[in-house]
Amino acid sequence: MKAKDLMVPLVDYLRPYSTLKEAASLLRTARRSEKRIGVKALPVLDDHGSLVGILSIGDILKAVYPSYLYLMDLGEFTWDGMVESFAKKMSDRKVSDLMTQSVITVHEESSLMECVDHMLKNGVKRVPVMSREGAVVGMIYERDVFYEITRSMLDRHAKEGA
Amino acid sequence: MTFETMTTIQNFVMDIPFWIATVIFITAYALIVAEKMHKTVVSIFAAGSMLVLKIVDQHEAFHMEELGIDWNVIILLMSMMIIINLMKPTGIFEYVAIKSAKMGKGEPFRIMVIFAVVTAFLSALLDNVTIVLLITPAVIFIADALEVDAVPYLLSSVFASNIGGTATLIGDPPNLMIASKAQLTFMDFIVHLTPIVIVLMAVYLVVIMVFWRKRLRTRDELKERVMAMDEREAIKDPIMLKKSLMVLALVLVGFVFHGMLHFQPATVALFGAGLLLLIARTNEPHHILAEIEWPTIFFFMGLFIIVGGVVKVGLIKSLSLQMLALTDGNLFATSMIIIWFSAFASAIVDNIPYVATMNPLIIEMAQQLWPNLSGVQLLQHPDLMPLWWSLALGACLGGNATAIGASANVIVIGMAEKAGKRISFLKFMAYGVPVMVLTVAISSLYIWVRYYVF
Repeated sequence: MKAKDLMVPLVDYLRPYSTLKEAASLLRTARRSEKRIGVKALPVLDDHGSLVGILSIGDILKAVYPSYLYLMDLGEFTWDGMVESFAKKMSDRKVSDLMTQSVITVHEESSLMECVDHMLKNGVKRVPVMSREGAVVGMIYERDVFYEITRSMLDRHAKEGA
Repeated sequence: MTFETMTTIQNFVMDIPFWIATVIFITAYALIVAEKMHKTVVSIFAAGSMLVLKIVDQHEAFHMEELGIDWNVIILLMSMMIIINLMKPTGIFEYVAIKSAKMGKGEPFRIMVIFAVVTAFLSALLDNVTIVLLITPAVIFIADALEVDAVPYLLSSVFASNIGGTATLIGDPPNLMIASKAQLTFMDFIVHLTPIVIVLMAVYLVVIMVFWRKRLRTRDELKERVMAMDEREAIKDPIMLKKSLMVLALVLVGFVFHGMLHFQPATVALFGAGLLLLIARTNEPHHILAEIEWPTIFFFMGLFIIVGGVVKVGLIKSLSLQMLALTDGNLFATSMIIIWFSAFASAIVDNIPYVATMNPLIIEMAQQLWPNLSGVQLLQHPDLMPLWWSLALGACLGGNATAIGASANVIVIGMAEKAGKRISFLKFMAYGVPVMVLTVAISSLYIWVRYYVF
């Protein structure tokens, strides 16, 4: 099993100049497997198609979380509607302000273990897959890796290294 | 005072070491002001250069207070940082912030006044930089709860912190450095600076009323949001809180009596830090010690060596001669020049390197004026005392003028920016300069009336 066999081929992606609102709507409806049920992260490509970042639901959580709460233990004093009002305030921010810029990628010929290696060592759950030419051709999601791993466990007839 | 500085009082020579030291000093200060490189890196490298080029030798740099690292300042800073780091997880600072907001009954301006007073008070008791670091997140939080602009709150509390820090020996690093050089006690600061700082705070509260009172409005249901917070929930570790408040009280009592007991303030603080580490049953001190602001500590150490270099080669003495020539030995004029020059210099340069340079300059000046005196008699000559107080007031209060004037300002503006509340350089000055000019003007009046009229 190689990265290209497991990846969701690139259909949906974000633009750095899109607003967070547009990004959120795409994240909610992006195609995964056969259905459009949303994904947890999408690559950000510029107008030339080069990968400039990745925007995940974690980035969106961070966007509505005020930075000062990291510095003080005030969580129990927060009020109803705080998240919603911060979310509204952030909805017109640009994807480029909130995306993660340094992206861990794998090559389409990379092995499944290499994908797991990147995920564990870098603490990421979604990895863009790059072609030989350096273009993004798809995304590997942690859940798909999980299905592949558990399929090998559950399928008694699965052969070693298949 | 060393034998060498004695003999060079009348005629020092502008030899090669003089120029090397002067170039290192000016380059280092220029780089610190330019802020293109981290000031700690500049400081360590310049100090290393002073040593490697044999301007000062290692013994002078490490073991002589006149020419090298002032361990009083270093150990005092580190000890206070340890105490605060141990207190932080108890939740006491969250408690104080929420309690303050509730005491203000959710009224935006009343909360601003209470925050200003609390920040000033805490800044006098602990280092003001640490206090703004601990209070600022809560200030933004409360402003968000009230849905009012956080910027006025941030500005009013950082100004208050710089004013409050001026009140005591431990409040602001310049005072710490002056106290160590002039061998002044905690009580000296209480007697000479605290009264004027109380006056300044009262005037300052009127100033913020003019600035902001009419501009802060909120709705009743938002006030309710603040009133619904239960500050007691903030306390995470009541036992540790009791222990740390006890030790803090002990340390403060120690400061009050350190002159009488013949302890240096650093001794008191180090004992306090050790005691709190012990009774907190800190088995793993690694993270507590790692949280000491090492860049600040090393910045200080480097600066002391850099300044030691220019003291040794006579640059500071030649500056002090020029200062005396300028005022014709009139110490009232000198006081006024020091307080105003310090205020404007501290607005532009970090006040720590500024005071590090001014301390030996004042001592050199004293040596010219009273060549037969030495030790405490020289350092605390009654005619010299107003100069120390002028330096302290000018350097601490001058920091309010600009966004880079004091470390506290830099921290608050940085945090505000991260929270999406930008405070531009000019916006800071629009409020900071009036506060600085007013507080320094009142302080110069105080110096004149207290030390020269009566």
